[in-house]
Amino acid sequence: MTPERWKQVNDLFHAALDRPAPERRVFLQQAAGQDLELLREVDTLLAAHGSSDSFLEIPAWGVAPELMFDRQETTLAGRTIGSYRVLDEIGRGGMGIVYAAEDTRLGRQVALKALPPNYLSEQAGRERLRREARAAASLTHPGIATVYALEDIEGELYITSELVRGQTLRDELANGPLPPDRLLATLLDIADALAAAHAQGIVHRDLKPENIMRAANGHVKILDFGLARSIEPGERSTMTQLTKAGTAVGTPGYMAPEQLSGGPVDARSDVFAFGVLAAELATGEHPFGPDSAAMLRRMTQLMEGKALSTAGAWSAPHLEHVARRCMRAEPAERYPSGMELLAALRDAPGVVTPIQPASPQAALWWWQFHQGAIALALAAMPATAWAIRPMIGAPAGSRIFFVALVLATISITARMNLIFTSRVHPASLGHQRSLVFPWVAWADAALAVTMIVAALALNDRDAAAGLLITLSTVILASIILIEPATTRAAGIDSANRGPLESRRPG
Amino acid sequence: MTDDRQSLDSLLPLVYQELRRLAASYLRREKPGQTLQPTALVNEAYLRLLKDRPDRWQNRAHFCAIAAHSMRQILIERARARGAQKRGGARARVTLDEALVAGGDRSIDLVALDEALERLAKLDPDQARLVELRFFGGLTVEETADTMDISPATVKRHWTIARAWLARELEGLAPQ
Repeated sequence: MTPERWKQVNDLFHAALDRPAPERRVFLQQAAGQDLELLREVDTLLAAHGSSDSFLEIPAWGVAPELMFDRQETTLAGRTIGSYRVLDEIGRGGMGIVYAAEDTRLGRQVALKALPPNYLSEQAGRERLRREARAAASLTHPGIATVYALEDIEGELYITSELVRGQTLRDELANGPLPPDRLLATLLDIADALAAAHAQGIVHRDLKPENIMRAANGHVKILDFGLARSIEPGERSTMTQLTKAGTAVGTPGYMAPEQLSGGPVDARSDVFAFGVLAAELATGEHPFGPDSAAMLRRMTQLMEGKALSTAGAWSAPHLEHVARRCMRAEPAERYPSGMELLAALRDAPGVVTPIQPASPQAALWWWQFHQGAIALALAAMPATAWAIRPMIGAPAGSRIFFVALVLATISITARMNLIFTSRVHPASLGHQRSLVFPWVAWADAALAVTMIVAALALNDRDAAAGLLITLSTVILASIILIEPATTRAAGIDSANRGPLESRRPG
Repeated sequence: MTDDRQSLDSLLPLVYQELRRLAASYLRREKPGQTLQPTALVNEAYLRLLKDRPDRWQNRAHFCAIAAHSMRQILIERARARGAQKRGGARARVTLDEALVAGGDRSIDLVALDEALERLAKLDPDQARLVELRFFGGLTVEETADTMDISPATVKRHWTIARAWLARELEGLAPQ
């Protein structure tokens, strides 16, 4: 058939289709006349049209989804690879399948990442994997899943890392935005981890809710530092080559404009992704919009260097301004790295974070000093009660003295015990304090009230009454205001943690 | 053209990765949910394509065409490889997920479709391109109209007859 003939077929086909079905046959016969071949051509096309209802209406990848996958993505679960016993599959990503496995040499469970075979056949892929493992293994931080080893087993490469079981932030987002306190704690955890990585010159490059997991202790860990690359200046050229070789890195929607446009990527690109993540966790929606059209529009704005207006309502409005600065199109306008981001988060109004003292030891010294000073004030109470006993009169004066003596002894003994614990076994100080503190608080309060009553009973002895009221006020103020402040500054909390172990915020 | 080609090569893996995710959700018979739609992928890819060429902002049509063509090449290469793997080199007939298509016990031989598209291109290159954009590029009628700079009505007319012709070719019912 020639193109001209095809045009003829087209015209007749559409002319026939424009008519009601019963009339088509007659119309065709009249229009085609002697040209039986034309008649047959259009006739069979109309028949095919009638029976081709959904033909080609679903895009190719929907019709043949299995073609989108690599051929040998069979699961390794149940098999033994080298010294690893593979337990079960825990996730699939663009870079491979992740399994939970048992390292039989060390008897510990690990996450085992296997890469698709076709990926590994490329030398660039292997080289990149080695480099990513090397960079990632140098990172140890409670907020980052630690990389253990790069294993070459029978020609296949695997990365083993700390096994984190739990929910990803993507899973949590299914229940809507995070409540404000949880949001803040989560963002501080992530920023703290990013700050540690950035301090070592390592960027993540693919920060997103799928890559962050909440562990059993409630804190989050960033997974898959597999895409992190060392940002030493000398590595730039190799990096660019690898990128050009077709190993695109990142996830649309979380990539900074410079990342989208293939420019140099640094810590500020992570800061951008953090902003998107923060907005998503705060509002429950992706800040670029709910659908792909809105997302495209925002990304276009970004590429053009325009400011973003984020969607959704913030459950924690004070964080919005931090997130907005993270999502600036121009890298120089964002926080330079995780360190500055972390500082900004801590400075946001309404943020209650542990006060960071100059040094933990100094804070602990002040706490000990406070305990000692209060113990002295407490000791002054029964002494004063003894001195004023004659002024009040025999039975009442003696009773006040004995009550003051008992209460002061309880409180002083407890405080001495805490000071002793802080010097000898600081790790259990938090626990010990949570046991003892209620006794101390009640004893102090009762003592202060007793002494105020005694002071009121001293009718015309203003000097002694003033001293008693002053001491009582100091003790009350201490128990209500000063004690909580020094304790918090020293980082003592009730979760079995001593001052030095609880340096992490959140 | 050469420049675009190179840029596209570097971003195709990204597009491809997203498409894989999408395909995975088809496989699990779930709604794509949070996953980006294919159109968005092409658009995202387009953004990347423009990385070094802000002067080419308007040339979306060109990009969509290249992206759709690349998807076609990737899928057909894979379909051929699968066919070659099977005993006797018989072609893999890809079963269309019945859950996706009402009343459909249908399968499409992608390799045969590709060959038929080549024949269609000789009759009417625009129609072949249109099928490529819609079937391999995942564009809607309106997007295809934008890309080809023709009216949606014209897209529908071309689409109707091209589909009928291809369906007939694949059924082996062509006259002659």
